Amino acid sequence: MEFIDVRDVVFGYEADEEGKENKIVLKKLSLSINKGEFVALLGHNGSGKSTLAKMFNGILQPDEGQVTVCGMNTLDEDKLLDIRKKVGLVLQNPDNQLVASIVEEDVAFGPENLGIEPKEIRKRVDDALKAVDMYEYRGHAPHKLSGGQKQRVAIAGIIAMQPDCIVLDEPTAMLDPQGRKEVMDTIVKLNKEKNITIILITHYMDEAALADRLVVLDGGKILTDGTPKEVFSNVELLKKHSLDVPQSTELAHKLSSSGFKIGDTPLDVEECVEAIDKALKKK
Amino acid sequence: MSLLEVKNLSFTYGTGTAFEKKAVNDVSLSIEQGEFIGIIGHTGSGKSTFIQMLNGLIKPTEGQIFLDGKDIWENPKKIRKVRFKVGMVFQYPEYQLFEETVEKDIAFGPKNMGLKDDEIKERVASAAKFVDLKPELLKKSPFELSGGEKRRAAIAGVIAMDPDILILDEPTAGLDPRGRDVLLSQISSYHKSKNNTVLLVSHSMEDISRIADKILVMNKGNMFAFDETKKIFSKGEEIEKIGLQIPQITKIMIGLAKRGYKLPTDIYSVEQAVNEILRLQRV
Amino acid sequence: MLKEITLGQYFPGKSVLHKMDPRMKIILLTCYIVFIFLTKNYISLAIMAVSVLGVLTLSKVSPKLYFKSVKAIIFIVIFTSALNLFYGTGEPIWQWGVLKITQAGINTAVFVAVRIIALVLISSVLTYTTSPTDLTDGIEKLLKPLTVFHIQVHEIAMMMTIALRFIPTLLEETDKIMSAQKARGADFESGNFMNRIKALIPILVPLFVSAFRRAFDLAMAMESRCYHGGDGRTRMKVLKYSKYDFMALGVLTVIFVGVIVCNVMLPVTIRTGM
Repeated sequence: MEFIDVRDVVFGYEADEEGKENKIVLKKLSLSINKGEFVALLGHNGSGKSTLAKMFNGILQPDEGQVTVCGMNTLDEDKLLDIRKKVGLVLQNPDNQLVASIVEEDVAFGPENLGIEPKEIRKRVDDALKAVDMYEYRGHAPHKLSGGQKQRVAIAGIIAMQPDCIVLDEPTAMLDPQGRKEVMDTIVKLNKEKNITIILITHYMDEAALADRLVVLDGGKILTDGTPKEVFSNVELLKKHSLDVPQSTELAHKLSSSGFKIGDTPLDVEECVEAIDKALKKK
Repeated sequence: MSLLEVKNLSFTYGTGTAFEKKAVNDVSLSIEQGEFIGIIGHTGSGKSTFIQMLNGLIKPTEGQIFLDGKDIWENPKKIRKVRFKVGMVFQYPEYQLFEETVEKDIAFGPKNMGLKDDEIKERVASAAKFVDLKPELLKKSPFELSGGEKRRAAIAGVIAMDPDILILDEPTAGLDPRGRDVLLSQISSYHKSKNNTVLLVSHSMEDISRIADKILVMNKGNMFAFDETKKIFSKGEEIEKIGLQIPQITKIMIGLAKRGYKLPTDIYSVEQAVNEILRLQRV
Repeated sequence: MLKEITLGQYFPGKSVLHKMDPRMKIILLTCYIVFIFLTKNYISLAIMAVSVLGVLTLSKVSPKLYFKSVKAIIFIVIFTSALNLFYGTGEPIWQWGVLKITQAGINTAVFVAVRIIALVLISSVLTYTTSPTDLTDGIEKLLKPLTVFHIQVHEIAMMMTIALRFIPTLLEETDKIMSAQKARGADFESGNFMNRIKALIPILVPLFVSAFRRAFDLAMAMESRCYHGGDGRTRMKVLKYSKYDFMALGVLTVIFVGVIVCNVMLPVTIRTGM
């Protein structure tokens, strides 16, 4: 049984009073996520990726089709609490996820909702804050933290609930480069060290390149699904859908199409330098 | 005579308290009419404080700012007029929309300037055109617009004031790559067509390198460098050392140069890199 | 920097008062307020005044900060006292034309002044030594019995917590909105009253819209973290009465009894209340 199974899901927003067209955001989409995977969902604004993100934990429910988490259907209201224990959600705006005036109290919010006994909550909060490298800020007020720090606290709040999977909906979109790095390092660490399944929704290519698996959405459908190398090597397809590739990949691709063949699809600077070096030496 | 001249500009927060901090330290530079200047720096580098001094929102604790040869603080009561000449678009400008219709909101600036009704109407139409805002949207409430449309409407609101200098603070923040490309090209066309002066603050050297003639690099309140784009990129490694992210393509060229290849390192676009590497390969 | 203001201002510390349970502090404050107004003669007034000063000292918070809190209401105190000073009953001790000062007037003025100042000071002790979170926790626990009357105590406490959390954030946002509108030529300084009120619309509308947006996001985040109301909810921080609480209760009971004894045994200088 797959960990998360999305089957033939259709989702649309209704026409509003002004008669704006009925918009179908997800068009019979199917996707399976396996335990321990680090999946990146890539796509434009409007591709349906944010909508899909909110379906994994039942915040949004499909109009047609179904989403199941460990066999539990998100349409089943009785199961929603259990589903959300397994699948956590981190949103884009760092500020609007923090509930309490003190960091450690915010991290405790989730476990408190689950009725966990106080001593255990304390332990979970401390462990979660240490996992995101924010333990020394446990007594601080959230509004004084940087964007990257706030997002890490939000992630800690989810980890404290000990989920199997964390869905992150464009978690770095509002952060500066420093903040983006902090959050991405944390996410990779959680996947590699704690084996937490990660579903990362993003439009940054360099972030998507860090994943094990890349699913590209366009117009409510899956455009392509594969490893980052597989997906990014298809530069033409991506460009046709107004999507970008990392500069490293683009350089290799443009050189190859100009007659200077670069083997392999480099995803980052080191790989690109290595590949070009090799190609130049081959002559 | 330069359009804008900054002499020994400094700003200190919390003078006399335990929290005293020099946000901007002794910055001097001149900006000529028609230039397109990119401003880059960390969070905390002083760039936000710096630009807010240019339009009189923040009063410098030391130093002077000369607009068209006149000190902008000569007559503090008239400081509002400076803001008509030096327009500023803040980050996430869509959060400042408030009027009943998009048209009225864009007209807010021109109205404050005391312009006549027909001139205001013209300004609104012209500004909307620059940001590709369809005429049908003008009669709608700003809150009915999509995220991208809202941002463009907010930017139009400042463009409608027809400032001599337009300052934009991270106008592409939170946008996906396609949205970012579209907005940057709109700003570029606006600049070319009006032939006014534009200052664009960004975290992304990739974005800035595409459209700016000159780049100002701020670091810890100080002016680290202010020069033509290509010359700034020749300082690529130094800029990395102060913690800023240089484009992948620049890093790749530096990486190859380090491996002994005779390649220029002041490269900041994929096209430039392709040309240089192909040239080397043919040799 | 508007964001430096914290509601009621809390100053962390290690004094006896900081270590007390917030519930006891709230209960004792309530009793204090009642007893301040039960004083009927100078002796009992002095007992209360001295005890308030004692509590202030125990809190180890800088006297300058207490002075600040009094400074805020000093005009009200002077005004009300002066009013009472010149409007007493009985034989005038001093007279100058229409203005006359009587013994009763002096008594009332003194009592009014001391009571108001004591009230402000003792209330400040609560906010200075109790974190906003502890305060809301304390109030929630104390009001819990009211759930019998179908009053949603938990939800009210949750609202207070969230409000406290977002006040600095919203203040910061107000700053930003003001700057942005000023950059478009908005003028918040000049003009008559009506103009200034109208000038607030470009700030209030975006602020409200933003607040609703935040609320929407926050609700989604809370639901994702399995929030489902107060049922079955535990708390990481468990409030527990300690020896400090019982000591404080003991000492203050003695003082309050003392006040009652003074009222009964000694002549009454002033009627209860104002």
